[in-house]
Amino acid sequence: MKPQSQPSTPNYKISCRMSQEAAALERLCQVIRIRGFRIATMAVESAGEHLDITLTLEGTRPIAMLQSQLEKLHTVAEVALGQVSGVRVQTA
Amino acid sequence: MNGAQHILDAFHRHNISTVFGYPGGCIMPLYDALVDDVGVEHVLCRHEQACALAADGYARASGKLGVCIATSGPGATNLITGVANAHRDSIPMLVITGQVPSGLIGTDAFQETDVLGMTLGIVKHSYLVDDADSLPAIMEEAMELAQSGRPGPVWIDIPKDLLLADVSDTPFPRSEPREVSSPDLTEALTMLRAARKPILYSGGGISLAHAEDRFRTFAESASLPAVVTLKGIGNPGKHNPYNLGMLGMHGSRAANKAVDECDLLLVIGARLDDRATGKLDGFAPNAKMIHIDADAAEINKLRPTELAIRGDLNGILEALTNALQDKPLDIGDWQKQCRTWYTTGGFHAADNEEPLAPITGPAFVRQLSRIAPDNTVIACDVGQHQMWVAQHYDFDHPRHHLTSGGLGTMGYGLPAAIGAQFADRKSTVINVTGDGSFMMNAQELATIRRYNLPVKLIVMDNQCLGMVRQQQELFYGNRESQINLDDNPDFVAMARAFDIPALHINRTDQIRRGIETILAYNGPMLLHVAISREDNVWPIVKPGASNREMIDETRRTNKKEHVA
Ligand SMILES: Cc1ncc(C[n+]2csc(CCOP(=O)(O)OP(=O)(O)O)c2C)c(N)n1
Repeated sequence: MKPQSQPSTPNYKISCRMSQEAAALERLCQVIRIRGFRIATMAVESAGEHLDITLTLEGTRPIAMLQSQLEKLHTVAEVALGQVSGVRVQTA
Repeated sequence: MNGAQHILDAFHRHNISTVFGYPGGCIMPLYDALVDDVGVEHVLCRHEQACALAADGYARASGKLGVCIATSGPGATNLITGVANAHRDSIPMLVITGQVPSGLIGTDAFQETDVLGMTLGIVKHSYLVDDADSLPAIMEEAMELAQSGRPGPVWIDIPKDLLLADVSDTPFPRSEPREVSSPDLTEALTMLRAARKPILYSGGGISLAHAEDRFRTFAESASLPAVVTLKGIGNPGKHNPYNLGMLGMHGSRAANKAVDECDLLLVIGARLDDRATGKLDGFAPNAKMIHIDADAAEINKLRPTELAIRGDLNGILEALTNALQDKPLDIGDWQKQCRTWYTTGGFHAADNEEPLAPITGPAFVRQLSRIAPDNTVIACDVGQHQMWVAQHYDFDHPRHHLTSGGLGTMGYGLPAAIGAQFADRKSTVINVTGDGSFMMNAQELATIRRYNLPVKLIVMDNQCLGMVRQQQELFYGNRESQINLDDNPDFVAMARAFDIPALHINRTDQIRRGIETILAYNGPMLLHVAISREDNVWPIVKPGASNREMIDETRRTNKKEHVA
């Protein structure tokens, strides 16, 4: 159990638009994992040629680093950092 | 035209004349199409890993796209190490594998593996073709992607039925050449001019961007003291008086000292790898940083930078050169200081000239560097010998030094040398390997023989996994564990079994003749160099320590015995 005094892991809301392809979600999740984040919630919506994915992530590394790695994926069109209700979004 | 024929057609249109591959069930339609093809030379290696590593060596030596091909299942899994190697070093590569027929995917069919899923982490991008008509667009996109921006391997997995299906002749989208906007360099120039102790820090990104000439001109005209990463070796040119050599774990004292003292790091085409920086806390503690790279994700990744410039290195280097030519930097004292450090802490210790003494790695490599013709390509393996080459061979161009940097793949050197020799049949290509690494792809001696490639092989045999032994000695209380290779095969006899002549040397006075003999021989030849089991690579920074804590040779007290 975490001691009360320890600050909780920062969390972030992030939304991502990808083109539809066989491995789209695996690609996304793999980068999130390897770059040090945990997926707390994930919602996926198919919109024509695109997939819109909204995630809440937890992790101690700078979220901007994850954002730039996700933007490198060829099938990712856009990554936006959003607000998690009540929590200020932290950027590096 | 079926899918397989279309692939070959795309190779022709993109001037891809050499591919490395190995056939099998699901890729057979492509091999069938190859029978009637005259424009593409298919090189059959003896293991798919070697196909991928040869394609990597071909790409590094030529600057062109490397292509490798394999069948589904074990063919594809065997490629993985080579593709990961290309991924970690950003080498442009196209990988094509056959897959079980579309209808059988997901049924655990014979030789089915989830190649797309399994390789996600080691590719720049990948495709599982699900419709024959999408193949033309995928081929075009894959070749463009592999070579653009930060290059890397792109993998196309194609079910066998789609290799056989008709591909409609739909025109594929031609990619327009992108406009290169010229970034504003005012701030960079202000920082450079304000610096008293600037250091130019360059890496593999220079040759990946085909910016070797521009970089060299810039480095020479700016007279900036320069350090290089393992993959940046050769960038400044061997006659540049301000070249301090490689920095990092096995870097020169001079390079690490200069970085430690500098007040500005101009980082170009490098990603601040831990082997180069040591512990980040202690890295260039007094320096501001300008980071110039093609990949935005490298900026601020490991160390916050005062100024980042993302863009085409050629344009940036040209603009920087011009700006500094008009008004050179005023850093005379710093240049002098760096030169002094280089004289005392560079890699040019006196050779062990004692003729009957056993051969040491550094002495051998220095002689090799002096004797080998200009433009020789050295393909290294991984271990102590790789570091001796990085330290003691004077490279004049980054494409002359093929080394597995990011992944550190033992077994890289021999197939990479094969690839480099195919890139230029006339060049001198030498694989410098260790007795451990050599055995990881020794089957490729058969490939050398088959194509009659004049590749020279130098096996530096210390009868152990030297790099591991050294770290066990220094950092694990000398508790040797599983590093002994004193039951190696007779490498001279082994080469001869592949119909490759070979020669053995073990004394310092035999080095010159050994090197001259293999270089003069008209064909492949192996030189077996016996070296001491106990020799270490110096200096060394303990993994995880700061580059300031370099350890120098400490245990060289017992006098070397002579060998008969
Ligand atoms: C495929 C692979 N397995 C293991 C390692 C770990 N490793 C790094 S260097 C080394 C020893 C290499 O021995 P050798 O090729 O004989 O070269 P030496 O260090 O003796 O010069 C090992 C085992 C590696 N880099 N690659």
